[in-house]
Amino acid sequence: MSGEWLSDPRATIARRDLASLSREKTIVLALLIQLFIAAFSSFLVVGLTSLYDPGSVSADDIVIGVAGDDADALVEAAREQESVRTLTYADEESLMAAYRQGEVHAAMITDGAGGRINVEVVAPTESIETTLLVDQARTLLEKVEANEREARAGNLERTLVPVPDDVDASQYFGFTYTVLVPLLLFLPPFISGSVAVDALTEEMERGTLELLRVAPLSLVDIVDGKALAMVLIAPLQGLLWIGLLGFNGISVANVVPLLAMVTAFATIVVVVGLLLGVLTGRRRQAQLLYSVVVLFGFGTLTLLPEHPATTVAKLAVDSATTGTLLHVAGYVVAAAVAFVLARAVVARTDPETLS
Amino acid sequence: MSGASDSRPRRALGWLRKRAGNVARIARWEVTKNAGGVDRRTVAIALVALVGMGALAPVVLSQGIALDDGIYRVGVTEDSPYYDAVAADDTFRVQDPDIEALYAEKQEILISGDHVARFATTTKGRAAVAELRSTVQRYNDGLMRAEANQTAAFPVLVNLTYVSRNVTGVDPPAQLAISNPDDRSDGGTTDGDGDGPGGDGSGTDGDGTTGDSSGTDGSSGDGTSAGGDGTAGDGQSGDGSGDTDTASGSGSENVGGSSIADRLTGGSASGAPSDISPPFPFRSLVLAFIFVLPLNFIIQAYGSTVLGERINRRGELLLVAPVSRGDIIAGKTLPYFAGALGVATAITLALQGSVVSVLAIVPLALLFLSATFLGAMFARSFKELTFVTVTITVSLTSYAFVPAIFTEVTPIALISPLTLVVRDLQGQAITLGQFAFSTVPPTLTAVVCFGLGAGLYREEDMFTQRPIPLKVLDALAGPISKVRHVGVMTAVLLPFVVVAELVVVALLFALGEISIVLVLAAVAIVEELAKSLHIYASYAHSRFDRGLRRALTLGVASGVGFFLAEKFQLIARLGDLTSRDIGQAQQNDLAVLGADVPLALVAVALLVAPLALHVVTASISAVGARRSKSAYVGAISVAIAVHFAYNLTVVSFLVG
Repeated sequence: MSGEWLSDPRATIARRDLASLSREKTIVLALLIQLFIAAFSSFLVVGLTSLYDPGSVSADDIVIGVAGDDADALVEAAREQESVRTLTYADEESLMAAYRQGEVHAAMITDGAGGRINVEVVAPTESIETTLLVDQARTLLEKVEANEREARAGNLERTLVPVPDDVDASQYFGFTYTVLVPLLLFLPPFISGSVAVDALTEEMERGTLELLRVAPLSLVDIVDGKALAMVLIAPLQGLLWIGLLGFNGISVANVVPLLAMVTAFATIVVVVGLLLGVLTGRRRQAQLLYSVVVLFGFGTLTLLPEHPATTVAKLAVDSATTGTLLHVAGYVVAAAVAFVLARAVVARTDPETLS
Repeated sequence: MSGASDSRPRRALGWLRKRAGNVARIARWEVTKNAGGVDRRTVAIALVALVGMGALAPVVLSQGIALDDGIYRVGVTEDSPYYDAVAADDTFRVQDPDIEALYAEKQEILISGDHVARFATTTKGRAAVAELRSTVQRYNDGLMRAEANQTAAFPVLVNLTYVSRNVTGVDPPAQLAISNPDDRSDGGTTDGDGDGPGGDGSGTDGDGTTGDSSGTDGSSGDGTSAGGDGTAGDGQSGDGSGDTDTASGSGSENVGGSSIADRLTGGSASGAPSDISPPFPFRSLVLAFIFVLPLNFIIQAYGSTVLGERINRRGELLLVAPVSRGDIIAGKTLPYFAGALGVATAITLALQGSVVSVLAIVPLALLFLSATFLGAMFARSFKELTFVTVTITVSLTSYAFVPAIFTEVTPIALISPLTLVVRDLQGQAITLGQFAFSTVPPTLTAVVCFGLGAGLYREEDMFTQRPIPLKVLDALAGPISKVRHVGVMTAVLLPFVVVAELVVVALLFALGEISIVLVLAAVAIVEELAKSLHIYASYAHSRFDRGLRRALTLGVASGVGFFLAEKFQLIARLGDLTSRDIGQAQQNDLAVLGADVPLALVAVALLVAPLALHVVTASISAVGARRSKSAYVGAISVAIAVHFAYNLTVVSFLVG
């Protein structure tokens, strides 16, 4: 068997599968979906804050009404917080009346019982505005707490670590790299695996596998070809994702290791899908088992020292360690082993039992 | 006579019973066939995997999945007070302080001694500092917890309560100028006086607000604090009186709950300041996922069974059976619909919602199922179906939950039935009008999807590999045989137009200035397609003669149909929206959406303009459609251009 003779039919099968994907416009659909999710997620991450009308509560215009014994401490602390203004009221009743009439965003009623400053914070019921409010109120109260601790330092045995100054940071940074990027990169392999199950079982159910086998092809060739096609489209989609993220101002580092990891994952899940297809021979069984097994497998990966999502995050955010790269290498090796094993299993399967 | 009138209801009853019997039989068959479709070995393996996952869960939970392990690198020495705090947080990786590494972007924060000396000026560096801030605060709280003197360690105790009020915006009184924290030099003295609002009336409060903005300089701050210590007390009570009655009734309903729904909100919290947590802003997102997620699994199974009918002509047996197409579709859909409702009911019970939540999920479930049905009728293979269902999942999920995020912000959020669910779970009342506003459009869309799919549920389309564009034309041309059907079809397609335009607005919104032009162009394209595609389809199926006069009649019918449907839904929407106070912003949104909305509001006479537009553009497309595909493409381009020019004129006229 010369190399040329061996590789050609598999490439033909791969081409045929890819051609059917593009003929059915499914690949276009897949790309559109990805584009849509990319736009959608960036809309969520970037646009959400700007979409919310800042006129009613802008960050520099939160008015908190204060009343009670220790109102001064709150006013004092608020002076150092740019975004918050306080408004002192004579007593609880007038403050609550003002709150109900919409003079203040939130109300804080204090009393000094038990040697502490007890603060009753009243905020409107849940909305995005409330989140902002409570967040600011908490910052204010933490300042009060810090001031009070300082004043009572004589009664404390331990010294506090100074809190670093506040900086203007994107609150979505962590989310983007630890959730969004891993999600986007793991999506294509899982879709590939599912499509691989379809590609094989559909040929069996429609009886076209029979026709394929009339050609001078072994079952291993057919499965190889299908695997090749489905594995290849995953890193391509991953690359598209990374490009789109970059276009949205989210730069992703270590593209090559990331794509290697995506390819490795795609190989593993595609192999699992095709094996299930060969073993069960029915689409419904294979799809059910595929989703359960892949979910289970992904669940077991949390037992690794580094979760795959963390590996992706660290690579993407450019904080990779040697351990991270070792994980990637491990996935690549596992993918190669899985592929070889699967070929052995397929080679031992009697094609006559399939369709 | 009496016999005839007596037998008619009986006949109708018998007919109904027969239909119900058929549907029930097919539904039963669907359930048993599917339950038996998976063999024991598969079930066993799936169960083993599920049990394995269950066994794994406690291990995973005990370790916790920290996705952000080691993403920031901090240079800190062991003698620094920061060392323990940083080392205890897995988000940071501890390194030796190295200024070269910081410049090379291999270290984000450099701590020397007891302060943050340098940090990388990248987004990552700033995010790292923000993270370090909260880490240090957590660490400090941990230190304080070990203190003997807890009163000194936690000198502030907070109790957070949510009290709802019925005000549209916050309007702080002008007395604010006094306690403006920006006047650091002298603000404190006036604050200390603690003079309450609602004191003596003031004449200078207007000045107070202006002084407040320029209040950094000492003297002007002085001036305002001297002059502005009174607020217009009576003025406020007058303007607030309309609101107070509702506010008192619905006070603090969220307090102290321990239900799942309350935990999701954050409910009320008490403890040290760092213990209180802001309510999760995207609670609606979580709820949306809980309610919408099962629908996504159900449509997988449903799409698979519908397509299964079409593989190897399996469905032919059912088609030749003495049951109608409607019975087959209803019967095959019923189990999945019932399943969706069952899951929704269970979720609602768990979240302590009311029957409104379940009712609001009905149109969503129908929409998911109908879209999947149509998709499965279009798809040529399971591969294609996989992508079709993913598309449906993504687009319908976003339709359901993007508006629901803005439940509190704008009444437009009601376009998604999920908003009703969110409101219901928050214990807010929902009027019948709101319910109808929210549920009728998706229900109509679902009916249209089922209708179009049913048009394809026939031998010619089910068992052949017709390309999708031709099938779309089949589905559109199916119900058309008379001229007026064209108008009706245009009206029927309107829900799709509205949904498509909403998606366009949502996608293009973030682009800024240019987005208005893009939205107008997209609106023109969507509307012209909706007015003419079925005309082209009916010509392709030779439903009408190809004369010029007939083409113009079809164009007029389509244009009038679109105009009437659009105005009808506009009236339905505005009637509901204006009953609550919508701000100028929403009106602008509507102007972008419909382009001619404010015109309709301005004067009835101007209704003529949009009518003329729709008729003219639809006729242009129809004239092209009667010849050939390329003529149709050319004609619709012209129509789109005309429509776009019209939109642009109207909007620039309104804006300028």
